[in-house]
Amino acid sequence: MKIRTTSYIIKEGLVNSYRNKLMSLASIVIVAASLFIFGIFVVITINLGQLTKDLEEQPQLRVICQYDLDDSQVQLIEDSIRQNGKIDQFTRISKQDAFNKVKEMFAENAGLLEGLDESFLPVKFHIKLKNGSEGAAVSEELKKIEGVKKVDYPKEIFESISRLSYWVRMASITLIAILLIIAMFIISNTIKLTVFARRKEISIMKYIGATDWFIRWPFIIEGVIIGMLGALVAFGSLGLLFKALMEVFARDLVSLSFGQLKLIGVSDIWGQLISLCMLIGCSVGAIGSVISIRKYLNV
Amino acid sequence: MIEFVNVTKRYSNGTVALKDVNLKINKGDFAFVVGSSGSGKSTLIKMILKEEDATQGEVFVNGYSVSTMSRKQIPFLRRSLGIVFQDFRLLPNKTVYENVAFAMQITEAMPRDIRRQVPMALALVGLSRKANVYPGQMSGGEQQRVALARALVNNPCLLVADEPTGNLDPETSWEIMKLLSEVNSRGTTVVVATHEKSIVDSMKKRVIAIDKGVIVRDQEKGLYGYEDKDNQLYN
Repeated sequence: MKIRTTSYIIKEGLVNSYRNKLMSLASIVIVAASLFIFGIFVVITINLGQLTKDLEEQPQLRVICQYDLDDSQVQLIEDSIRQNGKIDQFTRISKQDAFNKVKEMFAENAGLLEGLDESFLPVKFHIKLKNGSEGAAVSEELKKIEGVKKVDYPKEIFESISRLSYWVRMASITLIAILLIIAMFIISNTIKLTVFARRKEISIMKYIGATDWFIRWPFIIEGVIIGMLGALVAFGSLGLLFKALMEVFARDLVSLSFGQLKLIGVSDIWGQLISLCMLIGCSVGAIGSVISIRKYLNV
Repeated sequence: MIEFVNVTKRYSNGTVALKDVNLKINKGDFAFVVGSSGSGKSTLIKMILKEEDATQGEVFVNGYSVSTMSRKQIPFLRRSLGIVFQDFRLLPNKTVYENVAFAMQITEAMPRDIRRQVPMALALVGLSRKANVYPGQMSGGEQQRVALARALVNNPCLLVADEPTGNLDPETSWEIMKLLSEVNSRGTTVVVATHEKSIVDSMKKRVIAIDKGVIVRDQEKGLYGYEDKDNQLYN
C-alpha cells in the first residue's frame, strides 16, 4: 500500500469517527468500562499470584519445641530434621532470636516485657520442603520426634488462597470474555451506522474499482480509534482508582494483616497493563469494523 | 473487447433473464443495447461489470474471463472500464473535481497524474468551470457529464453506460449521447443500454435488441425497431 493511500485511509477514519461522535463516544465508554473491569481483574489476579508465591516462600512448616529443653536435646531434634530427606532447608530460631523479635513487636510498649527473659519462649525450626505437597506427611513425621511440642502446618491458608486465586482467575476470564464480546458488538454497531450512512458511497466505490481493503481500512481505523480511546480512558481511571486504594490499604489494612507481603498496584505494572488494554481495545475495534462492513462489500 | 459465449442467466427465483446469448462487441465499436424493462438488457450490463455471474456460458471483457475470475480481481476488471449509470452515482459530499479525482485515487494513481488528468476529463465534458461545485447544486445533465468525466478519467478502453439518459430531458439526453459518440470517435469502445428510440434511430449505430432474454436483432446502423415496438415503446 502506498503512503498517499495510507494517509487517505487514516484521514477518512478520523473524519468518520468525528462525524459519528455521539455513537463513537458511547462505544468508547463501553470499551472503557469493559477494559476497566478487565484491568481490575488483572490486578487482583496478579496480586493473588504474588500472594501465593510469597506464601510459598514462607516457612511451610514450623516445628515448635518444648520450653524446657537443654541445648543437647535441641541438637538431637536438629539432627533428626537434618536427616529427613524430604526437607529442603531449615532455620533454627533460638530463644534469643525469638525474644528479639518479640521485643521488636512490642517496641512501643517495652514495659510489658519488663522482668521477662527469653526462657519462656520455645526454640523453633522453620522448615522449607522440597515438595510442597508432602507437607502433611512430613508434619506427622516431625511430630514423632521427642521434645517436639507441636508442628504448625499452615496448609489451610495456603490452599484456600491458591483455590481462591484459581476461581478468581476463572471468573475473571469468563467475565472479561463476555465484556469484550459485548464491547465488540457495540463497536460493530457504531461502525455499522457509519457504514449504513455511507452504503451508497461504498457501492459507488465498488463500481469504480476500489478494492475491498481500500474500502475496509477507513472503517477499521475508526474502530481502532474507538478501541484505543476506550483503552486510554480505562487505563487512566484504573490508575486513579488504584492510587487511591493503595494509599488507604498501605496505611491500614495491608500493614496489619499481611505484614511483610507486598501489594502490586497499577503503577508497578503500568507498561504491561496499558499495552494489554491497547492491544485488546484495538483488536476489538478492528474486528467489530470488519464484521459490520462485510455485508456491504458484496456488490 | 466484449464477448458472450452461450450465456444463460437464471436468477435464484427462477426467472431466466438471458437465454443462450452469443454476442461480440469489437474494439472501437459503438453499440446500443435496446429492449424493454425485464428484457434482460440490464442483466447483460451487470454481467459485463461482474455484478451478476452467468449461470452457464462464458463472458470475456477486456481480456478478463469474467465468468471464472476471482472476487479479488473484480476491482481490476472495473478499473479497466468506465461506467455510467442512470442515477449518476456521484458522491454528494465531494466536489465535481474530487468526484473525478476519486476514481484515480482508488487506483493509487500519482497525485501529479491526478492533477493533470482530472482537468482534462472535465474539459472533455465541458465542465471545467464547475470543478468546485457540489453535485447537489447541478442539473441532471451536468451531473451525468461529471459521471462521464469520472468514467473516462482513467482512460478506459471500454465505456459502459446503463440508461445514461433515463433521468434526463430530451435535449440534455442528446448532449450526453453526442459526448458518448465523441468519446467513441477517440477510439473508446462504447456500449449504451437505452430506451431512447429517437436517439437510437438517428445515430445510426449498431443496435442489439433483446427481448425476453434473447437477442432478437443485431444490426449495423440499425434502428430501434418497429416490429417489436409494442413490447418496448412505452417502457
